[in-house]
Amino acid sequence: MSLDSTQWHAKPKFPETHYVDTRLYTDETLFREEQEKIFGKSWIIACHESELPNAYDYRTFQHPAGTPLIVVRGEDMKIRSFYNICPHRGNTLLYDPVGSAKRIQCIFHAWSYDTTGRCLEISRGKQGYQDRFKCEDTGLREVRTTVGYGGFVWVNTDDNALGLQEYIGDALGMLEPHMSMPLEVFHYHKAVVNTNYKLWHDTNSEFYHDYMHYFNRITGMLQPGYFERKYVGYPHGHASVGSMQIRYDAYEGSKERGVGWPGLAPGGWILIDIFPGMTYNLRTSLIRMDTAIPLGPNKVVIEFRGLGLKSDTPEQRAERIRDHNVIWGPFGRNLHEDLLGVYGQGRAMRDRTDSKWVIHGREEDMTIHDEGGMRHFYAEWSRVMGRSASDPFGDDRAAPESAKTRAAA
Amino acid sequence: MTERHAIAELVYRSCMLLDQKDFAGFLALCDPAFHYAITAFSPEIRKEMTWLEHDKAGLKLLFDNLPKHNSDHSPLTRQAIVYTVEPDEGAARARVVSALTVYKTALDGGITELFAVGKLLDAVKLDGERPLLVDRNVRLDTRMLGIGSHIPI
Repeated sequence: MSLDSTQWHAKPKFPETHYVDTRLYTDETLFREEQEKIFGKSWIIACHESELPNAYDYRTFQHPAGTPLIVVRGEDMKIRSFYNICPHRGNTLLYDPVGSAKRIQCIFHAWSYDTTGRCLEISRGKQGYQDRFKCEDTGLREVRTTVGYGGFVWVNTDDNALGLQEYIGDALGMLEPHMSMPLEVFHYHKAVVNTNYKLWHDTNSEFYHDYMHYFNRITGMLQPGYFERKYVGYPHGHASVGSMQIRYDAYEGSKERGVGWPGLAPGGWILIDIFPGMTYNLRTSLIRMDTAIPLGPNKVVIEFRGLGLKSDTPEQRAERIRDHNVIWGPFGRNLHEDLLGVYGQGRAMRDRTDSKWVIHGREEDMTIHDEGGMRHFYAEWSRVMGRSASDPFGDDRAAPESAKTRAAA
Repeated sequence: MTERHAIAELVYRSCMLLDQKDFAGFLALCDPAFHYAITAFSPEIRKEMTWLEHDKAGLKLLFDNLPKHNSDHSPLTRQAIVYTVEPDEGAARARVVSALTVYKTALDGGITELFAVGKLLDAVKLDGERPLLVDRNVRLDTRMLGIGSHIPI
């Protein structure tokens, strides 16, 4: 039966933990709060250490809390991060996304810094500031940086937040043995999509949407073991999905992966979601890393990385690249479908479309089509935001009689 | 028709047929040994990337499987301009460089936006009845393609 307006707006017939209000995906106030309370206090992946192989190599990174960063390897080979903002007149220090900078010099007034953030020179400093202000009085704003969990460079703009190890806890335990050797990024691209970052992360938090992927239906859903994989939730909103054997040759034109991964069973697959928006995806012969950088409630930049082993022979690397891009490259079979899905959600869930609820009520003993991974994410979201994901603005508390009427409808 | 004219016709016809989603027609322009790739250089990771790579049979399978996938239906329009044709008389081949611009037009309303720019780096075989594509490298400058595409450029 179709729904009338009252029924459309009524609370779903599920516990409050099993649905969210779609204003989570559209509201500007909530977005700004997420930037401050979530992204401003979480460990976020900025890049991979293999993108900075030499001393003085740098990458720039748009932190999802809003701050532009420089990630740079110093002369001591340590990787540090700083605001990409000159403390003098607020200019962008490094304009290009990648490069080498033994001396970081602002193009505006030639103030310069080294790769430890120390001010090296203020142009005509004595003449202009006399003894009132010197290099010792300034420097670059350093951001906490830790390299770990597969060589990823993690940053945290909150000087007082938990350490990375404490933040991750045991969440990456299933994957750590497979990341003990040096890794290298072989694929990188970005996509800007008019959707909310959480909708993208949702696609990595549940696999009921494998119905959207012909490739996954054929190589996974129809294969033994698919429905036995289980979600496990960890503190701080992280979650893992156990392994199974993917039958790549079940998709016409695809073949079994000749290049495997050290310690992983043939065809194996391990996926781990890290709150608030990163996913490790070890898929038989490569690691995928998705990171989401929200630009607004309905706009997100997603970075896509593919990683192999630094020790790969050219032949092994070529095979990993093919394996990655046939499915997850910009012309891959799955990535386009995932992006099409969240783009469609973004269209349907904009401000004023009168969308109301997103239901994640499936319960299948936390196996692969259970939506417990999403519920776990939104439980953490609610905790950190101090708001209920199902009632973020307290409408039910403000008008409990209306809430009862809606529920009874 | 001069040789350069015939080669240019081949490049333009390949674009028109892909625009029309006439995949069988496109493959008919390709030699049995055809190799296809979409490549780009990532300055972010300082590496060459190969985003898609197939032989002729693999490309045919990709086309055959398309109806089974969920895809964006917005048509792409490919615009090529043949820049240079360098014959290799001894090998009965020619190397062709063409500028490529691809546009995407929304089905709803028909607004057109730029999808990608790059070059077609083709190798053309000349020892048959007509020129055939034996190698195509779609060398993209554009690296952000929105929601992407299932259909090769």
